[in-house]
Amino acid sequence: MRRRPNQRGSTGVVRGSGVASWTRWLIIVAYFTFLILPLYWALVTAFKPQEDLLAQPPVWFPREPTLSHFGSALHRLEGLDGIKNSLIIASSSTIVSVVVGTAAAFSLARFATGGKHLAFWFLSQRLLPPVAIVIPVFLLYSRYSREWLGVQLIDTHVGLILLYTVFSLPWTVWMMYSYFRQMPPELEHAALVDGCSHWQAMWKIAIPLAAPGIVSAAAFAFIFAWTEFLFAFVLTSTNATTLPVMLVGYIGLFQGNLWGETAAMTLISLIPALLLGMLLQRHLVRGLTMGAVQG
Amino acid sequence: MVWPAVSLVLLLSVFPLVFSLWVLFVEYDFSVSNDHPWVGLDNFNDNLIDPVWWNSVKVTAILALSAVAVEFILGLLLALAMLRPFRGRRILMVLVVIPLFISPVVVGGFWDLFLRQPIGPANQIATWVLPGGPVTTNFTEDGLWPYISVVMADAWQWTPFMFVVMLAGLSAIPNDVYEAAEIDGAKPRQSFFFVTLPLLLPIMLVAITFRLIDAVKLFDIIYTLTRGGPGTQTYTTSYYLYYQGFERFHLGQGTAGAWMFMIVLSVISFWLVRRLLKPVEA
Amino acid sequence: MPDDDVLSFGEHGSEDAFDRRELLKKSGRLAAAGAVAGPLLMSAGEALAAGSAAVTDPIAATAVAQAKQYKGITLTTIRETGPQAADDKLFGGPRWKALTGINVETIEGAMNEVYTKQVAEHVAKSGKIDVVEALGGWIPDFADRGVIVPIDSYIAKYKAQATIKDIHPAYRSLAQYKGKTYGFFDDGDAWMLYYRKDVFANGKLRAAYRAKYGKSLQVPRTWDEMTQVSQFITDQMAPKIYGQGHARALGNPGNYFYFMQAFRSFGGQFFNPTTMAATINGPAGVKAMNVILKELKASPPGSEKFDFLTMWTTWLQGKTAMLYTWPPTGRISENYAQRDKAFSFLPKSKIVGKVGYAVVPGKNGWFNAVVRCVSADSENQDAAYLFTQWDTSPSVSLQRVMLPYSLRDPYRISHFKSKKYGSLWPAAPQYLKGLNNAANTGVVELVMTGAADYSTALDRAMTAMYSGKDVQGTLDDLAKEWDAITKRTGVDTARASYANFLKLTGSTKRTTAEAKGIDVKI
Repeated sequence: MRRRPNQRGSTGVVRGSGVASWTRWLIIVAYFTFLILPLYWALVTAFKPQEDLLAQPPVWFPREPTLSHFGSALHRLEGLDGIKNSLIIASSSTIVSVVVGTAAAFSLARFATGGKHLAFWFLSQRLLPPVAIVIPVFLLYSRYSREWLGVQLIDTHVGLILLYTVFSLPWTVWMMYSYFRQMPPELEHAALVDGCSHWQAMWKIAIPLAAPGIVSAAAFAFIFAWTEFLFAFVLTSTNATTLPVMLVGYIGLFQGNLWGETAAMTLISLIPALLLGMLLQRHLVRGLTMGAVQG
Repeated sequence: MVWPAVSLVLLLSVFPLVFSLWVLFVEYDFSVSNDHPWVGLDNFNDNLIDPVWWNSVKVTAILALSAVAVEFILGLLLALAMLRPFRGRRILMVLVVIPLFISPVVVGGFWDLFLRQPIGPANQIATWVLPGGPVTTNFTEDGLWPYISVVMADAWQWTPFMFVVMLAGLSAIPNDVYEAAEIDGAKPRQSFFFVTLPLLLPIMLVAITFRLIDAVKLFDIIYTLTRGGPGTQTYTTSYYLYYQGFERFHLGQGTAGAWMFMIVLSVISFWLVRRLLKPVEA
Repeated sequence: MPDDDVLSFGEHGSEDAFDRRELLKKSGRLAAAGAVAGPLLMSAGEALAAGSAAVTDPIAATAVAQAKQYKGITLTTIRETGPQAADDKLFGGPRWKALTGINVETIEGAMNEVYTKQVAEHVAKSGKIDVVEALGGWIPDFADRGVIVPIDSYIAKYKAQATIKDIHPAYRSLAQYKGKTYGFFDDGDAWMLYYRKDVFANGKLRAAYRAKYGKSLQVPRTWDEMTQVSQFITDQMAPKIYGQGHARALGNPGNYFYFMQAFRSFGGQFFNPTTMAATINGPAGVKAMNVILKELKASPPGSEKFDFLTMWTTWLQGKTAMLYTWPPTGRISENYAQRDKAFSFLPKSKIVGKVGYAVVPGKNGWFNAVVRCVSADSENQDAAYLFTQWDTSPSVSLQRVMLPYSLRDPYRISHFKSKKYGSLWPAAPQYLKGLNNAANTGVVELVMTGAADYSTALDRAMTAMYSGKDVQGTLDDLAKEWDAITKRTGVDTARASYANFLKLTGSTKRTTAEAKGIDVKI
């Protein structure tokens, strides 16, 4: 599928789409209602005072909105720790993944022809159901890392950072690989002729040009680490609990389900999603399909 | 410069896999033994004699296929609807993609808040919209509703994926092709079926394959929306293996089940992907 | 607040006027509790305990004296979030520290997490937990896998045999396994039938009952009477009052207790002791399940999703006439627990003084155990042992079960006879006697390898039957699932484990304390 310049949205008139105007609007309105409703409900639940939470009929607009659930979630239920841990773990794994991944991708794009093998290797990691790997990783982190390496990785930031880096590397490498492959090597050759080493060529030429790709690779890596649940759940208990894990813990307690606090925390966890939604518009397709489709 | 990446990947993904190969054939079960004697294929058998395992395979297939189908259709419709630029399209585009970046447990949480009686307004809305008396269905318990709810939550999160990919595909179809068809006398509907769809096919395959590979691993939404219930109605294979491996510490059984699942998934996926990489590779 | 104040459920009629907002404010606090953190005001119960006379209990005194040498170390316990954790965090921990200088830290988690976390810690051999909290059903696996250590040598060393003799005979064997003692029993979780005296004394109701059935309305003694009376009350008095209303949500706390008690009172056996084939799908199982389904019909709408809290709230609001469940029910009915901030998530009782106590229909009520054990991975086993000896000693445990927020229930003969406890509310002596009698005839939780697996499978099957699946078919599937679990454990191991279980007091209706002749008469 060759990408033609100026194709996106400029003339945009695709004939023969067969969809009449009012149908189009119906679809759009229906879909966005479907999209917004649960979001709105969560928003409103986070601010409802206690009496309104279980009221019948449901309260769509609380008369006395309150911030108490946020306070309660963040302080009494240690939600702030969850956010802090998530930030540390997500940022660190993103940085490592992008640095390592970009370097590897550059090498592969310029010096090796491992393209197809690379694709299969990383795709097969995608095929891995997390459940398959979570048990050995749990055993490794909780027991064998201490017995063999002398360091216990369970419930540590480092443990999760390492793991998330490994998981997001395929994305990063693949994305940057497709970026670098697209870039003509002539610019770097010119720099080499001028006396730069390969490293300098990469650093001064290739990376600035691939900056948008790096940004989007970083964004994907971050959002993966920020939203991941299963491994965080199994591999943390008190010290390194991440935001999704804390959130899930508010339901099913003896004292009842903490709806307001849950809603508050989900809203907080949405912030990166909102930012990324705005940031990644252009690079979405390439990222989501690991470069198989050019956006 | 490839070495750091390779060694990290090796250490933390290949090594656990290799290690899990050992766990596959030994006894590793908290309620059975402290030691790990060789037990051959017993771990696999533990899954195969459990009716819940077979049920979970069925549930996984149903949920994954339904979810991807719904996402595909909705995504395509939406892409077609939003193809032509209009005022406010840019804002809507930002809005559309937000669910993709939300943690799936949070998505399940949103839908739990929305559907669960008495806290959610789903019954109220259904009563407004539908003719007849008040709706008292329990959307995560009654009849087929657990499946529908899970598919709905999953579609809420992943339809944007289909949408974005297919929008890209649709936008890339050059106008001349349509003009040529019009000259040949094709009506809009024929144009759609004989020009648009065939050109879109490779993209659709990519999108469906990617989604399907992810959808069969469905776990997080189940965990927060239905907990696999009612009974074992929404036990996907991932959830079942999590329950056996982590809530009950039958680690050998969990590993064996995961490998069986992974092998089947790989076979299907490689078949799909090989079909894909051929036409798409440009 | 008018007496007929009730919560409404869905659209089930609003004939009665009531102050919705008031009620919702109170029930809204269901969601408000969160983890108990920070200093709380000393409650009446605590003041009572603190002001008690100098310790004349040698068990407690010895433990304190011997533990002082460990001053400065930290012991870690693990408890369920909420009032259970408050027991260690607000009472046991600070008290022990004041007496011995040992710090106590408490890890919290939802109930199923308490199991998972402890096993995970053991697999990791982290040594993080010193005092293990074990439900009775976990003891075989915990003992066999080396999560906990036998304490017989410690008991001998500190001459604490007397502490065990004071425990009700039905409970004693639960802390034992394969001839060794693995911990101190700490919670008399025996089910009683709680009923509304005022409802059963209601003249109109009694007349209508006599007119229909030709006999006097009585507190049910058999399961048939239970379903008949529940349905009758519901027919006559719903939606104001329903015959009964139990917590039936999956896993919170679960359903398998209901089945296991009725099943055994009908003479049911879980397994064929020779072949280990599961036999819960036999006639006794079908009968038990049908009883439960009939009860569900007589319960408030939405009962299938009631969690424990909703069940209690419904009861306290006066909306249900009968309830058979754990002992704290008696205390919350009298507003005793709600005095304390730790119980602020529960509304005040509207049925103070109106609650009577009886034995569960069929005579064999459920009971389970909680045992405080010493972790095998702990670096401070001696200190951990001494803490458990002190914490469960007659004097200290009496104070603990008398705490308003306590979820630990009387389990010692000295508790049942305690005049102090009997003065907590007018009917408290009958309450204690009832708990004692419940232990006399009760049937115990399933205690064998894989107990949690069997119970969860049963819980799930029951919720499937609530949503309409046919009984025999579902029970047959359940039996298949149980057989798979047995096979995974290993049939021989399971057989031996089940044989051990059958020796416990309360394993069947023929091995209850009363049947064995070791019951306690108060």
